[in-house]
Amino acid sequence: MQMVKKSVLIFLMLWFAILLFMPKAELYYTIEKSLAKQDIKLNEKSIEEGLFSLTLKDVTVYVKGIALANIEELDFFTLLFYSSLEVNNLKVDEALHAKVPAATKEASFTHSVLTPFSVSIDANGSFGAIEGKVNIVNKDVRIDFVEVGDIGMIQSLLTKDEKGWFYEKSF
Amino acid sequence: MKNLFKPESIKIFLGLLTFFLIIKLLWFVVQVTWLSALDIDQAEDQSSKSLYYRVKLTPNNIAAPQKVVPKETKQIVGSIKEIKLLAIYNATDIAVVTVEYRNKSEVLGSGDKINGFTLEGAGSNFAMFSKDDKNYKVLLAKNAKAKLNKSSIKGVPITNSKVKAKKVLGEVTNEGSAKIIDRSLLEHYADNMDDIYKNIGIAEIKEGKDLKGFKINFVRKDSPFSKLGIRRNDVIKSINGQEITSYNAAFGVYKNIKNIDNLSLVIMRGKEEMELEYEIN
Repeated sequence: MQMVKKSVLIFLMLWFAILLFMPKAELYYTIEKSLAKQDIKLNEKSIEEGLFSLTLKDVTVYVKGIALANIEELDFFTLLFYSSLEVNNLKVDEALHAKVPAATKEASFTHSVLTPFSVSIDANGSFGAIEGKVNIVNKDVRIDFVEVGDIGMIQSLLTKDEKGWFYEKSF
Repeated sequence: MKNLFKPESIKIFLGLLTFFLIIKLLWFVVQVTWLSALDIDQAEDQSSKSLYYRVKLTPNNIAAPQKVVPKETKQIVGSIKEIKLLAIYNATDIAVVTVEYRNKSEVLGSGDKINGFTLEGAGSNFAMFSKDDKNYKVLLAKNAKAKLNKSSIKGVPITNSKVKAKKVLGEVTNEGSAKIIDRSLLEHYADNMDDIYKNIGIAEIKEGKDLKGFKINFVRKDSPFSKLGIRRNDVIKSINGQEITSYNAAFGVYKNIKNIDNLSLVIMRGKEEMELEYEIN
C-alpha cells in the first residue's frame, strides 16, 4: 500500500512538474513557426503564461501578409489528459464578409484522453451555434448547426438533413 | 545540539528539488533542441505611400455611357397590330366584332380565332383577345368607317406583361482622351472577388522566397479587364501610387476600390514602363 501511495505521489509530482516547467511560450513560438511556413502569422499584443495555460491577447491573424481576422483572446489550456483552445471574439475582415461569417463570439476546441482520436468543436457567433467533431483517425470533420444564424455565404458548403444544416468533409 | 529540521525532511526536500531540477533541465534540453525561442510577427507595413493626385479630364462627373442590354421580348405586339377593329356588336351573351386582317374583313364571334388570337369579349370601344394566357385590348379604330386605312389600332398587353427593369452593365469606355470605368463595375468586383479571377489571372513574381510583385497571366477577351488595356505578361508596379509588392498592398487597394475616384495603374510591359489612367464615374 505504501508503495502504491509513493508511486501515485511520484506520478502526481511528475505531472505537476512537467506542466509547471513546460516552456509554454516557446511551444507557442514553435507552432507559430510551423504556421509561418504556410504564410500564416499571428501578431499578439501580449502573451501571459499561467500554471496550466497560455493566454494571448488581441491577436491579429495574417495570411500572406494580409490581416484577415482579429481575435480578442486566445486561451490554450492543458492538463495533459485534457486540453482546450478557447477563442473569444473573432472578427474577420470586412472584405471577407461575403465569404465567411463575420463574427465568432466564442469557439472552443477540446481534446480529452477519454476520446483520444477526436477533437470536439463548439462555437457560436453570427452564423448561429455549432457543435462538431474532428476525427483524427478517419480524417473527417462533421459540424452540426444547432442554431442557424447568418449562413447565407457558406450555405453552398452545407448539407441539410432532418436534424438541420451540417458540414461534413474529409481531409 | 537539537536539529532545526529533521534530517528525513531535509532529505525529502532535497529529493524534490533534484526531481524538479531534472524536469526543468529536460524541458531546457527540449527547448534548446527543438523549440523556437523567437516570436514570429508579421511586420507592419511601414512603407510610405506616395502622394497621389489627379485632375479629372471629363467635366461634371458625367456618368459613364452604359451598355444597355435590351430585354428579349416575344414578338406578340407585332402580330396583334395586324388586327384592326372596325366594328363592334356587343350583346349580353355574345360579342361580335368586325376586324381587318391582312386587308381582309372578317366577322368574329366570341371564341373565334384570328392570327392565333382568340376573341374573348368586347367593350363599347374595344375588343379583348387572348393568346398564350395573355390578354390584348384592341381599340376601335378612330373614324373606322371613314378612314379604315389610316386607323391606328394598338395591341396593348394588359396582363402578365410586367416589363423587367433593363439590366445595366458597367463598362469601361473611351471618352475622348480619358478612359472611364463605370462605378457599378468596380462595386461588382469589390463584392464578387471570384468574378475577378474568372476574367484575369494574376501570378506572383518571386526572387527566392521574397515576393517582388504580380504579373498578369491571362486576360479574358472582351472582359472589362481587357478594355482597361492590360495584357498578358504585364507586371503590375503600382496602383494609385501604392506599390504592389505584397499581398497586403494589393488587398489594401482591393478593400478601398469602392471609394476611389481615379485609377492609375503603372505596369511594366516588356522593358517599357507604362501608366494607364482611368476615371471612375
